[in-house]
Amino acid sequence: MTDPLVRVEDLRKYYFEQDTLVDRMLGREQQSVKAVDGVSFDIHRGETLGLVGESGCGKSTTGETLLALREATGGSVGFDGTDVFGMGRAELKSFRRRAQVVFQDPFSSLDPRLTVGDIIGEPLLIHGQSDSAGRRERAKELLERVGLSAGQVDRYPHEFSGGQRQRVGIARALALEPEFVVLDEPVSALDVSVQAQVLNLLEDLQEEFGLTYLFIAHDLSVVRHICDRVAVMYLGEIVEIGTTDDIFDDPQHPYTQALLDSVPRAATSEHGRRVDALAGDVPSPRNPPQGCHFHTRCPHAREACRAEPPAYDVSEGHEAACFRLDDDHAYWESDPIAQNATGEDTSEHAPESTSEAD
Amino acid sequence: MSERNSVEETADSASATTDGRTDSRSDLLRVRDLSTRFFTEEGQVNAVESVSFDVRDGEILGIVGESGSGKSVTALSLIDLVESPGRVTSGQVWYRNPDLAEEFPDAADGEFVDLRELPTRVRRTLRGPSFSMIFQDPMSSFNPSITVGEQIAEAVEVQRRANANPRSTRSRTQGYGLGRFILDGVVPNRDYTDPESSRRAVELLEQVGIPDPEQRADEYPHQFSGGMLQRAMIAQALAGEPDVLIADEPTTALDVTIQAQILNLLRDLQDERNMSIVMITHDLGVIARMCDRVCVMYAGEVVERGTLADVFDRPVHPYTEGLLGSIPDLDDPAPRLQPIEGNVPSLLDSEMGDRCYFADRCPKAMSECLTHPPEFDAAGSEEHRARCVLADHDYDPSEALPEDFFGGGSPAETGVTSTDQQAEDGATSEVSQDD
Amino acid sequence: MVSPRTVRNLKREWRDNWLAKVGVVLVVAMVLVAVFAPFIAPYNPRSQSLDDNRLPPMGFSKTENQTSSEFVDGEAQVVSEEVTINATWDHPLGTNQLGQDMLSRVIYGARTSLLVGFFGTLFAMLIGVPIGLVAGYSRGRVDDALMRFADVMLAFPSLVLAVALVGLWGRATFRIPDPFVALGLAPGMPGSVVIPGTVIAVVALVTWVWFARVARGEALSVREEEYVKAARSLGASDRFVVWKHVLPNSLTPILVLGTIQIAAIILLESALSFLGFSGTTLSWGFDIAQGRDDLATAWWVATIPGLAIVLTVIGINLVGDWLRDALDPGLGGEGGSGA
Repeated sequence: MTDPLVRVEDLRKYYFEQDTLVDRMLGREQQSVKAVDGVSFDIHRGETLGLVGESGCGKSTTGETLLALREATGGSVGFDGTDVFGMGRAELKSFRRRAQVVFQDPFSSLDPRLTVGDIIGEPLLIHGQSDSAGRRERAKELLERVGLSAGQVDRYPHEFSGGQRQRVGIARALALEPEFVVLDEPVSALDVSVQAQVLNLLEDLQEEFGLTYLFIAHDLSVVRHICDRVAVMYLGEIVEIGTTDDIFDDPQHPYTQALLDSVPRAATSEHGRRVDALAGDVPSPRNPPQGCHFHTRCPHAREACRAEPPAYDVSEGHEAACFRLDDDHAYWESDPIAQNATGEDTSEHAPESTSEAD
Repeated sequence: MSERNSVEETADSASATTDGRTDSRSDLLRVRDLSTRFFTEEGQVNAVESVSFDVRDGEILGIVGESGSGKSVTALSLIDLVESPGRVTSGQVWYRNPDLAEEFPDAADGEFVDLRELPTRVRRTLRGPSFSMIFQDPMSSFNPSITVGEQIAEAVEVQRRANANPRSTRSRTQGYGLGRFILDGVVPNRDYTDPESSRRAVELLEQVGIPDPEQRADEYPHQFSGGMLQRAMIAQALAGEPDVLIADEPTTALDVTIQAQILNLLRDLQDERNMSIVMITHDLGVIARMCDRVCVMYAGEVVERGTLADVFDRPVHPYTEGLLGSIPDLDDPAPRLQPIEGNVPSLLDSEMGDRCYFADRCPKAMSECLTHPPEFDAAGSEEHRARCVLADHDYDPSEALPEDFFGGGSPAETGVTSTDQQAEDGATSEVSQDD
Repeated sequence: MVSPRTVRNLKREWRDNWLAKVGVVLVVAMVLVAVFAPFIAPYNPRSQSLDDNRLPPMGFSKTENQTSSEFVDGEAQVVSEEVTINATWDHPLGTNQLGQDMLSRVIYGARTSLLVGFFGTLFAMLIGVPIGLVAGYSRGRVDDALMRFADVMLAFPSLVLAVALVGLWGRATFRIPDPFVALGLAPGMPGSVVIPGTVIAVVALVTWVWFARVARGEALSVREEEYVKAARSLGASDRFVVWKHVLPNSLTPILVLGTIQIAAIILLESALSFLGFSGTTLSWGFDIAQGRDDLATAWWVATIPGLAIVLTVIGINLVGDWLRDALDPGLGGEGGSGA
């Protein structure tokens, strides 16, 4: 196999709370929120890697940190063999050309005061194309490419529906002919019929331009549809990664299993199906459980899970971080942890997450 | 069809539901030709257009549709919560309640009373003991500065007053007069609830699966997670022991594992209390798991309704088909999705025209679709109906409308401005988000 | 940059809000008066006519003891007799102690007030908005430092600060020739417009903090918008992002604040003039100070410029309210004071 286009190693992103001047003067202790806590994966050219998890698991932060939009706390990201965090100004600018991002919210991702022509032309302007007629032409071209019409180039975002705006966002991301696009929940805010249009568009564009995608989503059926490989995140860590078929047909981590089991299927066979729902809420990333982060909600949790599990190989390219994959592990001898109804280990009821954690 | 006729339709046609539990249930609510309009600056918005359906005892009825389809406004219209500039303009909501029927013979038809004919005060007293509602965003449904326990106790209090004074035309906040208001202003923190209501609130919290209910009752909404707060809202809705619980996108803001918990809870509560649930959602998976019968809404109309199997396995309306074809299947990823082209239409009266509202996006639009279709009986169970000519006869390609009949151009061209969408979402001001 | 929706809102507010119309009429009238002062003013506001001192405005009269010396029986006697002085159309608003025409003075005073109000606000914006935007956009240490400084500034009463600064710097003024007079169109009028430079600088320095706070609050919220993230992901520099996205999207509340600040600054200028810290004698505040001692005998000398201030400030505030309601219904009271 050739070298991956993107190689993420042990990526960390912590947020610090109580970090202002006043807090310091008052001698308050910094509190860290480990939004992303040691995440590693590769993305190969031309493939789509899915990053799934519930809100607050750090999947969006991962996407933004690997693009150097947020300053990483630790770890490294290699893009086409170059270390992204070690890039100088000029290098970073050329990296920005090659790596793009499409955001979730089609309402907030377009500046309401610019026409869509200006919005799509903006990346060209930033990268030195000062000829405005040329930018406009390119914007028209891109509008047509994403299924809108060139005649709409002078309209404002509020004149478009959600799905159309998302197409404009995609056109903007394509303007610089990138190789790699981070799709951060690109269809989550859209109605299903429109969502399908946009998914088809994304697939067509990938084929046409040979794009590599990192597809961040919480909707598992969308991920199954569009991704080649999938990484499942829980509280800032990847608990399982593998090909889409591995993950969906043969999930190994109890969290992946529970997640898949929870998704309601749109079929009559789904009727009355009772899911063994995971108990409790996702613990706060301010105060994640020790060891395996999932042990507070895991139906198979035992005392041994209070230690951090390594990633075990399940098969070629399929890894999961759960002691149950090691037949000889002390896990099998240790005592089960009684699950209280909340599924929370500590008595602290923290809200699910900070807004920044995802 | 006269109103009388439609009310006398019997409800024994529910035999084809998938799990067989719904046999011979009788109607609790019969909604007939209900229309709700919003009178906005841009013009009249037909948010709900001549909608008819039944809700039966102890069933879960699903109303599914995309944003702007009118599903939330339908729910609000049921319980008379549509706010200005919106108004329910026509139709009847027949509610089975012998006591009320006796008290208000003018509005009654047998055991049923037309809620729209009842005095406003009476209608208001029905919110709680007869109908209650839960919403998508629990965070904004609670007052952030009052403890969760007290807010639930308040609901209990209100119900107790209503029960002590059953069916009277008195407002149930009547005890709360000006003197009391002034007193509350002068003496802050004077609780509106008594210990008994608080005890009941804790009980309710326990019933919806909130651990340590006594302790959590004293906490504020921001100390609850989204899932827990949704449970608390359900507890609040249960305070009046309603006959019908209307759940408007109850799990849309939640993660799937939490969604599973809430759906389990709703099903358990429904079994225990034998109440009816009207489940409004855009998520076909949730519909499939929870609902016995389904209404599919598009552009303010119910375009197809029937049992779950009717709608999911034998869809007649091309919109229903399109909706089902748009969602990726988790267990069998299709190589290519079959989306519905185009966008959700504007509901502005002036722009709607007298045709099938789906015709401009419909792959099977024919020339007869240019007249507005009635509801046809469709194959499947007896109650399977679709507002589409295809329920009546097959597609005839020779009658097909030319491709660019509706102005054609690129598929995503017809613009919907955000102001339209706001108007559509009007009363709730909740734009449905991700699932 | 002005979207159709904005225009629609402005129109709707205009239609529904008669106060907005009153405000606009007042402000437009005041601006016209100030600009065309040499044509409107009946007299040179500085020309004195001691004989006609303290003439009452139209509709009023005053009685005065007139004394004269007479020789009665070879002895000089001081005779006092009471005379009634009626207002004349020559001086419809009366005159002050120096016999200067009050109408002309009020008209010329509008120039000073509006100049100081406009330029003071402009400079306050030019100082405050960039600082606020940078602070809000960058957050972190810069923000902390700037905002603590701003808090300190706000803690001082602005008038005290202004008086201290004028005392420190003196009363520098700029004179530019009045174009109408220079062209010979308005003979006999003052040949130059006096711009009180120190006063403008001082009011800008004591009010920029408000702009900084509002701009910061706006920047804080705009920076979280995904289009800002998108621009950064495209490789845009911070300067580009602030200039292209953050500033235009923060502008509405800043402009609304601007209109309200003009009114506040006009008041501040009057107060400074009243205290004698202005660089010009053609100012409403100065006239009020002049009339203060004569309130009992010539109340109009202080009251008429006071009325002019009240009308202008009301007018500007009404326009500000109109803009606020039309452009940003969410901006209640003190907008965007960041947490």
